[in-house]
Amino acid sequence: MVEFSTILAGFGDAFSLYNLAFVLFGVVLGQFVGAVPGIGPIMAMAIAIPFTFGLDPLPAIAFLVGVNKGGLVGGAVPAVLMNTPGTPDAAATALDGYPLAKQGKPLKATKMALFSSITGDTFSDIVLITVSAPLAVLALKMGPIEVVALMIFAFSILAGLIGNSLTKGIIAAAFGLLAASVGQDPENFTPRLIFGYWDLFDGLALPSVAIGMLAISEILHRLSEAHGNMRPTIIAKDTGNPDDRRVTWAEYWSCRFTMLRGATIGTILGALPGIGSTAAAFMSYAMTKASSKDPGSFGKGNIQGIAASESANSAVVGANLIPLLTLGIPGSVGAALIISAFMIHGMQPGPLLFENQGRLVYGLFGAMIMANFVNLWVGQLGLRLWVKVVSAPESIIFSSALLLCFVGVSMATSGLFGVAIMLIFAVIGYLMASFGYSLVIFIIAFFLGPRFEKSIAQSLALTNGDLTQVLKSPVALALLILSVVSVVWFLRKNVQGEDE
Amino acid sequence: MNTMADRVSGLFFMALGLAMYFWINPNYIETVDGGNISPATLPNIISIILAIAGAFIAIKPTDHQLRNPILMAKTGLYVALLTAGIWAMSWFGFEYVAPVLALAIMWLIGERRPLWLGLGVVAMPAIIWFLVTQLLGRALP
Repeated sequence: MVEFSTILAGFGDAFSLYNLAFVLFGVVLGQFVGAVPGIGPIMAMAIAIPFTFGLDPLPAIAFLVGVNKGGLVGGAVPAVLMNTPGTPDAAATALDGYPLAKQGKPLKATKMALFSSITGDTFSDIVLITVSAPLAVLALKMGPIEVVALMIFAFSILAGLIGNSLTKGIIAAAFGLLAASVGQDPENFTPRLIFGYWDLFDGLALPSVAIGMLAISEILHRLSEAHGNMRPTIIAKDTGNPDDRRVTWAEYWSCRFTMLRGATIGTILGALPGIGSTAAAFMSYAMTKASSKDPGSFGKGNIQGIAASESANSAVVGANLIPLLTLGIPGSVGAALIISAFMIHGMQPGPLLFENQGRLVYGLFGAMIMANFVNLWVGQLGLRLWVKVVSAPESIIFSSALLLCFVGVSMATSGLFGVAIMLIFAVIGYLMASFGYSLVIFIIAFFLGPRFEKSIAQSLALTNGDLTQVLKSPVALALLILSVVSVVWFLRKNVQGEDE
Repeated sequence: MNTMADRVSGLFFMALGLAMYFWINPNYIETVDGGNISPATLPNIISIILAIAGAFIAIKPTDHQLRNPILMAKTGLYVALLTAGIWAMSWFGFEYVAPVLALAIMWLIGERRPLWLGLGVVAMPAIIWFLVTQLLGRALP
């Protein structure tokens, strides 16, 4: 168990002016890019990671946490003002945010989104801080056999939950594992599938693969759509009434149960790998509407709708880190990117992180809490500014983002070979997305691949190749049975979906 | 129900899995005596899974709709441009290629306003140069 002095030291590290500056920079950048339709915090994090090389681990990760959290707040701005969500998470926010803005209350709508986003985020951060250390202690009791079973379970859940086809999920996971097997074999240290390119001996670089698939492939898609079609700016005008520009305490307080329900849904779904914040936002919105005395007012500018969506989608961010920090399994692309930042800075996510670098983990928690306050402050001041950002032309945004990706990956991989690999994976990512295969599953499988293979090798060493030894581990057995059950359940669900 | 996209992708993954199992893995993975797990074991298992799952998708496709082929062709144009950009950077360096690449991308998008073109072609590469070489002290590609 982590000592109290370590926890205090971690929080002490976080609450320094130096870290505050990086959190502030991250939040400002996150809100800025979140407000630009088409970029979003995930792409911003992917681009920003290589630029954090020169920093110490805590400010680097605090900066990225700031980008992620700021992006969720910024994403609500175009959703409310233009009915064009900056991030998919904010799509449910547009359902009531945009009608409210059209009634001449754009600032009331964006402020309600800001307040409920911060409320949901803080709730899930508190849950994360409270439960992750005890869960990590439990996770430490797992041996390699249990780790293999856990990963098989995680793959089966991810493949079933993301996308509309379990088979496509399995293909995406298998393809990710195949890409992870390029390079040095972890057991015998011989070159594998490098095709004579010795630059591949250490494997495909995570920044090249992640940035190629998550950022460049999306930019390519956006570029093809933007051709000859410059986006017009449609900003709702406000009424001039001061009451329509603010959220009163009474209005905020009237949404307390909605926000609590949204935060709880977001936290629970965020802790499960693969579900994501968009599902949480829509589920919270639907439950709030169903339990409302006036369901007819939803979709017409009801602030309860904004509160439900924003509290849920923001609560996912903190909860996403629960499987990451306790088991080393990223539950979302955002968490996978945080993992790559951890690894760039020499940290191996998982239960041992609390034992080996407990101070840093609590520093991260401190930075997350600090980011919430900064998000609130920057949001209050910046909302009027982000309204201008919404109208920035795609031409400059995407050309700049491409150049930043080139430079970032070149720095991360020490040369243009990594940039070429990035472009190859951008094309693969674009084609996979075009044919309906999940990039999230691919990236998570790619990240977990080496650990998966190593755990299999360790398990075989421990059991002398006797697979019946698995029966002696109740945890592994239970996880494998759950994997089979989930695959059967998802297959049945797929078949039922096709019949309907 | 249009099932062509899934049939094509399913056949591709089936072919990839089979090619990996029968040709690529045996030729591009070294065999090692001893050890708990051979270097080819996991790639072989994955190849089999890919082939079976690919065949399954080809036989039982969903009605996933492919992106507009015209947009995909336009994406091919941007990929060709970026490939040329990387190739040019390996010869001339980021400083010279980045403004030209930015101009080509912005022009292809349809941007014609001089102010935005100036910002994208001159200001952004200059800001990146300053950030990387002066602030971070790192080399540009």
